[in-house]
Amino acid sequence: MQTIEIIISTDGQSRIETRGFTGSRCRDASRFLESALGTVSSEQLTAEYHQTVQQQPNELREEN
Amino acid sequence: MSHIVTIQTEVRDAEALGLACRRLELGEPVHETVPLFSGEATGYAVRLPDWRYPVVFDVEQRQVRYDNFEGRWGEPTHLNRLLQSYSVEKCRLEARRKGHSVLENRLSDGSIKLTIQIGEGHANH
Repeated sequence: MQTIEIIISTDGQSRIETRGFTGSRCRDASRFLESALGTVSSEQLTAEYHQTVQQQPNELREEN
Repeated sequence: MSHIVTIQTEVRDAEALGLACRRLELGEPVHETVPLFSGEATGYAVRLPDWRYPVVFDVEQRQVRYDNFEGRWGEPTHLNRLLQSYSVEKCRLEARRKGHSVLENRLSDGSIKLTIQIGEGHANH
């Protein structure tokens, strides 16, 4: 299941986390919220994101 | 999870601001020019409980103006609560426009958690 979780603190600052996406698709999925809410003050790519990105070149080499 | 983004809220949507005011049982924001302690401000004015001057949101310039004399003329938590409600309503509006469902929960520390479930066919758009 693909979900976007937003935790909005008592001062109105938002923290968005994406779950269940592969690679950079998570960024595409949450961009509509990020641009609608305000200014991005920080972004952290998680291990899951990096693992998926690293796998892609290996898969391409195997196919060629 | 794949990535985590932190966002500082900017009030840019008059509709979401109106919904936030309704949620907090505040008066409807009115687009007007109002006096502050020093000068005046034009935008959507919101009267917060026990604040001496209104808070004015210029949604086009993405600016908010108020004068609460460092809390002595208005409790900052009221403004923070309005910004929180605005963010919730803005997220709900944007999710609804894309056809996604939204689940809302209040957490023990006062934060609000929204869970947006991406509908089939929307994940890659």
